[in-house]
Amino acid sequence: MLYDLIPHLINGVALGLLFALLALGFMLIIGVMEVINLAHGSLFTLGAYGAVMMMAPDGGFSYEFMQPYYDLPAIPRYLIALVVGPLMAGIVGMGLEICLRRTYGADPLYGLLLTFGAALVLEEVIREIWGSGEYYLPTPKEISGGFIFGDLIYSTYRIYAAVFAAAMIGLLWVFLNKTPYGAVIKAGAHDSEMVRALGYNLKVLRLLVFGFGAVLAGVAGVIMAPIWGVRPVVGVDAVIPAFVVIVLGGVGSFWGAVSAGLMVGIVVALTAAFLTDWSLLSMYLLLLAVVTFRSRGLAGKASVLEA
Amino acid sequence: MSRVKQSRRGFLKAALGSGAVGSAALFGPWKHNHVYAAASDKPIRIGLTHDASGQFANSGQAEKRGTEMAVAEFNEKGGVLGRKIETVWMDTETNPQTGTRVAERMITRENVHFLVGAIQSGAANAISQVAQKYGCVYFNTNSSSPTESGKNCHRVKFVWDGSGENFSLAAARNAITTFGKNWILVYNDYVWGQNTNEATKKVATKFGANIMDEVAIPVGTRDWSSVLLKIQQAKPDVVAAAVGGDDFKVMRQQVSDMGLDRKPAWMNNQQDWPDVFGLGADAAFGVFGTTWYHYLDLPGVADFVKAYQERYPVTRISVPGNVTYNGYVAMRELLRVVEEVGSTDNMKIIKALEGRKMSAADRMQHFDAVIDPASHHVQQTIYLAEGNAAPKDETDYFKILSWSDPDAIRASADAECALESYAATPSYDQG
Repeated sequence: MLYDLIPHLINGVALGLLFALLALGFMLIIGVMEVINLAHGSLFTLGAYGAVMMMAPDGGFSYEFMQPYYDLPAIPRYLIALVVGPLMAGIVGMGLEICLRRTYGADPLYGLLLTFGAALVLEEVIREIWGSGEYYLPTPKEISGGFIFGDLIYSTYRIYAAVFAAAMIGLLWVFLNKTPYGAVIKAGAHDSEMVRALGYNLKVLRLLVFGFGAVLAGVAGVIMAPIWGVRPVVGVDAVIPAFVVIVLGGVGSFWGAVSAGLMVGIVVALTAAFLTDWSLLSMYLLLLAVVTFRSRGLAGKASVLEA
Repeated sequence: MSRVKQSRRGFLKAALGSGAVGSAALFGPWKHNHVYAAASDKPIRIGLTHDASGQFANSGQAEKRGTEMAVAEFNEKGGVLGRKIETVWMDTETNPQTGTRVAERMITRENVHFLVGAIQSGAANAISQVAQKYGCVYFNTNSSSPTESGKNCHRVKFVWDGSGENFSLAAARNAITTFGKNWILVYNDYVWGQNTNEATKKVATKFGANIMDEVAIPVGTRDWSSVLLKIQQAKPDVVAAAVGGDDFKVMRQQVSDMGLDRKPAWMNNQQDWPDVFGLGADAAFGVFGTTWYHYLDLPGVADFVKAYQERYPVTRISVPGNVTYNGYVAMRELLRVVEEVGSTDNMKIIKALEGRKMSAADRMQHFDAVIDPASHHVQQTIYLAEGNAAPKDETDYFKILSWSDPDAIRASADAECALESYAATPSYDQG
């Protein structure tokens, strides 16, 4: 029995790393700007479509026009897709931040409504440009196909995606904790007025943080595209788990988000294996169970109301 | 002159009596909806209930291309009964609640003569209940839950796709003898998946299969890794899948990516063309059923494909598949029947359709089809296919293995159908 469980646990960890990657951009924006960016899913989708444009001949550009590019080997095109997709999401994210400025300091509901509206608009724009059909993101054969694991076959791409997610999480931690820029971002999350008093331009800081969060959403979109498929509504599949992970992990906590992502991944993987019809519900049941006893999540800050 | 003495009581009685008689004339025991004086220049309006969002967005639009193509062909020849045909389309969002709202609106506000469409069986069931309430004839083009022509049948509804049980009957015996008896069943956890799974289980068990496990997959599942690992651990001979729409595309892609497409053997109940197109012939693995294929070696097929490509020169799905085909033949038959009976009266249309035979040549299939008068389910050829290892071009994904006579694969679920009587069905004619 335990031997049968091991592949599912490993699969759960891989899935969890992907959920954590999905949630990190979301967490950054909430932590620094106290804005719940409901357009996170649409930015995720935009990243995926950006990658499709750079990888797939039917992804948006005319094949005849782009033939010299599409004739390049798959690996350089994939590396370009990994840059272009998130860049598109980042640029749109910065545009969204400019629209959000008028809501700062006002009722948080305004920011929520604006990002919700932006999510709908983005989804429709994507639908207008690429249609409502599903696209497939081709990947280089070096990271495709099956991987023999004991007497089981596992997806090579999934191993790559999990390793990539772990690397991104590590790089983000280093950026936030070991660089002066990360220090400014963390300071801004803690006390934005103090950061302004120290001479930093808060407007620029917020613009860059939001853009960075959007880039992370785009990166997640590119990585998840071969697993979840690429279609206009795939963002909903992203924003809801991201929200669950953030709340479960504790709003604003980096390692809280990572731990929560891993927990969600393992729970979803195990229920999908043994109680499949509960698999989509399982993450919400986990959230319910945790916040019932610890409302701030695994690593969130205690409120003054807590004894 | 004589004076008639009239008491107040008598006057009130007479007034009430007149009112009752007058009211009976308006609200009498019969049901009659929207009868207008016949107007020969009034267009015939057809409500299209095709998805543009949700799990079956792609298939919904493919189906719409088929129905609109048939309408356009008739309009180019002067319409039906000398009248132009207009279509009114609303997105049913792959959602039964939306299907109900759309059907109500189309009948009560858009005043359509007929309803055509639906892929998701839950939406089809919802639409057909509204259609039956008003008496509006409804052609369910692409739903294949055995319930839609079984216990959810209605006098006004005609089901044009093969049912899950038809496909199972066509595929199951072959799969057991070729691949083995140990089966795992995987299905989408909603009405079509559940009922198709039941039909598959019944058929497979009848032919000697050992059902090792049944796995219910929630609609919208994107990650199949856990299920595929579980399947590998169980080591079945056959995996029978009743999974559709976007879930199916994701499943096939992940199965193919993991190299699980050769062993175990996959039996996918039905394969809709929009769910495969774009994934490449490699992703069309396993054995599956379909009602039509664009490379069938039959008269009319090449012309139909050419007409589709001329009418839709810019579309992602560059050749029609079974979903477009079902939409086209259903709409075409409806318009023909209207022309033949010379009326849009629902009872005349229904009676003309029941037992109607359609020749194989006309339908571009191998066997003649017939509309079963007891269930209103079109009994037609079912093709068994697998992925094509030697495609002749980039659209040649399927290799047709065999085709079944409709009489040999009759669904037992159709016997559960109890159509409403004619008297219990409201008359409906928008004029």
